[in-house]
Amino acid sequence: MSISIRQLFGRKPKSSSIAKQRLKLVITQDRFDVDDRVVTRLHHELIEVLAKYFEFSMDSVQISLKPEGNSYVLVADFPYKKAHDVSMNR
Amino acid sequence: MGKVIVVTSGKGGVGKTTSTANLGTALALLGKTVVLVDADVGLRNLDIVLGLESRIVYTSMDVIDKQCELSKALVRDRRVDGLTLLAASQKNNKDDIQPAQMKAICDKLRSTHDFVLVDSPAGIERGFSNASAGADEAIVVTTPDVSAIRDADRIIGLLQHARIEPINLVLNRFSPELVGNGSMIDQEDVIDILNIDLLGIVPEDTGVITSTNRGIPLVYEEGSEGGQAYMRIARRITGQQIPIPAFDQKGLFTSIMNWFTRKG
Repeated sequence: MSISIRQLFGRKPKSSSIAKQRLKLVITQDRFDVDDRVVTRLHHELIEVLAKYFEFSMDSVQISLKPEGNSYVLVADFPYKKAHDVSMNR
Repeated sequence: MGKVIVVTSGKGGVGKTTSTANLGTALALLGKTVVLVDADVGLRNLDIVLGLESRIVYTSMDVIDKQCELSKALVRDRRVDGLTLLAASQKNNKDDIQPAQMKAICDKLRSTHDFVLVDSPAGIERGFSNASAGADEAIVVTTPDVSAIRDADRIIGLLQHARIEPINLVLNRFSPELVGNGSMIDQEDVIDILNIDLLGIVPEDTGVITSTNRGIPLVYEEGSEGGQAYMRIARRITGQQIPIPAFDQKGLFTSIMNWFTRKG
């Protein structure tokens, strides 16, 4: 009873939609054959490149793979503090 | 020249063998010549599901070992014209057969039959490679649960890599009631995740248990929802345009059925 009332008010998501979300994520990883080492290396190399142009804290950078339609999007999230003055480096 | 279709799933227990037995029988009932090939060497079951277990003399292994002619190894199903079974050896294991040998058998069978349905074992190893070696097309069987769908996706990837197409989906053990109350993934979501064409939906039918007990495929049973679903799928395989009934909402299928019975 309590469950159905909660479902009525949309507090508890239906287990079928949880299943769908979990499946989408896990299948994305399966299809991409995602190797943790690849992501870690990419993470380091991206930071190296980004650090040339932006000032940011290293541990704020997040890299993830998200399904979008029939393909996948690599999302790199890096909140930066400020951009370096590129002309100074020349 | 007939078609070779592999029936596969990745995960075990989702209804590959039941689907192979029913689709093979249904195609034969539609007047096609069909041979069912059990590729589950060492764990054969297609013979017992079909009720032919007492009549197996030779297996595909004997054909490969040249102990008997291919045509002699085929067991005729006496209940319907045009249906035969090539059993798997129970004494050997999957590694005793090479994919090329299975392909050679399928190629020979296709020259004398309209359809060759290969029942694949579960898994992605040699048994699967053997089963899919000679296939033109694939039917992937899944149930609407996370583990079966995930494994189906893995198998679809392997089939695509092997350039087997089209790959069609049979959604088995579907429960409109559970979909209706949000406890089961619906067919649109399964299609959205797996991104292949839906060949048909087989509703959950407890009749499968008694049908397997007796060795009589569901399609022989008039009034069986599962059997009717397999008949529709078989018609689609032969190219007929048969719509997939709307199972998606609670009670909708029942109301449609009621509407038809009232009309008829």
